[in-house]
Amino acid sequence: MSLTLEIVTPDRRAYTGEADSVTLPTALGSIGILKGHLPLTSIIEAGEVVVVLNGKTSRLAVDKGFVRVVSDKVSVVTEAAIDETKIDLKAIEQAEERARQAVEAARGQKEIDPVEIAKIEQILRFAAVQRMVKGRSSSGLTE
Amino acid sequence: MPKGLREIRNRIKSVRSTAQITRAMQLVASSKMKRAQDAAQASRVYAELLGEILDTAISKVGEFSHPLLTKRNVTTRGIILVTADKGLCGPLNGNLIRQAAEIKNASFVCLGRKGSQAIARSGRNLLADFPVSDRVNFNEVRPAAEFLLKAFSEGTVDTVEILYAHFKNTLIQVPRLQQLLPADSLVTQAKELRAKLGLPEPKIEKDEREMIFEPSVEVILNQLPELFFKQAVHQAILEAKASEHSARMVAMKAATDNAKKLAGALSLEYNKARQAAITQEILEITAAASQG
Repeated sequence: MSLTLEIVTPDRRAYTGEADSVTLPTALGSIGILKGHLPLTSIIEAGEVVVVLNGKTSRLAVDKGFVRVVSDKVSVVTEAAIDETKIDLKAIEQAEERARQAVEAARGQKEIDPVEIAKIEQILRFAAVQRMVKGRSSSGLTE
Repeated sequence: MPKGLREIRNRIKSVRSTAQITRAMQLVASSKMKRAQDAAQASRVYAELLGEILDTAISKVGEFSHPLLTKRNVTTRGIILVTADKGLCGPLNGNLIRQAAEIKNASFVCLGRKGSQAIARSGRNLLADFPVSDRVNFNEVRPAAEFLLKAFSEGTVDTVEILYAHFKNTLIQVPRLQQLLPADSLVTQAKELRAKLGLPEPKIEKDEREMIFEPSVEVILNQLPELFFKQAVHQAILEAKASEHSARMVAMKAATDNAKKLAGALSLEYNKARQAAITQEILEITAAASQG
């Protein structure tokens, strides 16, 4: 035990606990945080958070957000986060399908609400990240 | 049966069935209220952490100017009016709409049908209205928040204020007008939010080492206030929902109680009338028998 990690979304506290190391997808690339890291505030891109505790690795898919590291406390605020074990590929497919339908519906219209586009983007982005995280862990199991 | 009796009986029946309906609505509202209160509670954690991150960043940066934080001359106030979609929740919507009517030189953005109807009817300037479901997702609030950010940065409105029913407890909800933009200073805004939520001042861990900002201070401080604004809107709407369902539950409970009381009084009246009719009949029979 050396780091404390918390991941919070608007709906819930997605993760709280201790970790030996945390890997975060920041805007400048993936960074690893270990005990004694310098204070840091950074932007998080949609991607994968890897938490290592006692040799066990767990992964989470996160959306865009912010991270702050202060005195071995890693705090992540993000718009959405989900544990890899809870990722439901079927739900993702449905979400993607809905997004695609929304895109189809919007195609005929002259003016497309930019907010709507951002929403669809977010759904698709988070879906892609979830797939990536899920895919990585399952391929890891077969090795 | 005399006519009066039947009328009373029909009234009792209708009052009882009204009581049944209001009782059902009360139960629905109370289960929704529980969920809304929990949601408001859960999102406080996010608000708290976001505020903390902001505080830490600012304490390490010093002063910073940002369009969302700069005051300007106010010609048009932008008001977000958060009301319920439906009535039957006591004076909740009425109070909000009355307070909204008192605001001069304002453009409105409405969340909730009651508010947009009232604003449209009174001929005020309604910029947009957005639907909000009972389960207030962050994504649902984002269109409204982004619309207002755009209006603010384009100068359509010079302030952004939110008028909603502040949730004090299940029995008390008060309309509250809160200024969101321009946030004169992030720190005071964060403080206000904490005061509103009744949270203690965050203890920023002592770490004297210099903070790294990635990709840069500017980029981070360009995005944080926006997110903070959206979060403030989201939190207000969550609270408004909790207020709405609480108010509806209380109103429906009062309606049920009143209906039961009324049914009791009517039953008493009915029994009295019935007894009077029977006595009358016996008197008539005995009178006829003694005559004959």
